[in-house]
Amino acid sequence: MFRRLVNVVEVLAAIAVVVVVVLLFANEPDSGTTAPASPGAQLFAANCAGCHGADGGGGTGPQLAGGVAAKRFPDVEDQIAFVSKGSGAMPSFGGQLSATQIREVVEYTRTL
Amino acid sequence: MAEAAATPARTGGSTAQRLVGVLLVGGAVALAVGVYGKAHDPTHEQPYTLFFSSTIQLKVWFATAAVALAVVQVLLGLRLFDKISVPRRAPAWLGDAHRLVGTIAFLLTLPVAYQCLWALGFQSTDTRVLVHSLLGCFFYGVFTVKVLAVRVRGLPAPTLPVVGGLVFAALVGVWLTSALWFLTSRPPGIPAF
Repeated sequence: MFRRLVNVVEVLAAIAVVVVVVLLFANEPDSGTTAPASPGAQLFAANCAGCHGADGGGGTGPQLAGGVAAKRFPDVEDQIAFVSKGSGAMPSFGGQLSATQIREVVEYTRTL
Repeated sequence: MAEAAATPARTGGSTAQRLVGVLLVGGAVALAVGVYGKAHDPTHEQPYTLFFSSTIQLKVWFATAAVALAVVQVLLGLRLFDKISVPRRAPAWLGDAHRLVGTIAFLLTLPVAYQCLWALGFQSTDTRVLVHSLLGCFFYGVFTVKVLAVRVRGLPAPTLPVVGGLVFAALVGVWLTSALWFLTSRPPGIPAF
């Protein structure tokens, strides 16, 4: 009886693997059907959204949307310095993005 | 990691050929996971939360539960191989329990891996993230080797415990570079769900 239960669970696990693989490919977003995002938005998606959420609503990292970024850093230069140098769990992007890119992504976060 | 009591299948070829074949399949799986993660455009979506406050929290606790079950499974495996003697008399259902616990642990990793691959992909923004991405790919590759190793007859005797240990180490490594990092980078206090 117990062994039968284990066999059933293993079959379910195999089915789950198939479902995951199918979902990974079936839900692939269409490319080229939407307007291209701004450079700041693209940089945000590639570098920030993993922690701060796709819409800046927060996740592993704090919320930025809803004016939170601008409220936290009233002076945009302070936010640029923070992103460049990093602090605590916030990694430094100074070595990964150019000064122009950091300014673009910072300005984007202040529009969320 | 869940198939210790499965009946090995008859396969042809020498011991070395079988071992190489099993390793090649596992390597292909790890490579496929990595290639998908690199080629797929991350969506940065948080597709499900269940009863957690966010997908991130779900991933952290599912991964933590998987590691906890993996610890139990390792202990059951050690008893199966007579490396420990508690309980003194091994119950008949020990092998099935080993399989069940491992299967549930593996199932818990699937929604975590799905969100990682779908929303984040293979990343290398810093050392932790790169190590996490590599270990995630390695975990599914070595898990595949483990699944095959319990079913392919005639592999070298140390194969199963070595691969089982690698599966456990990979899972712990993935957890250390994600869930534990997340929990320890939060403000002190009771971790949120």
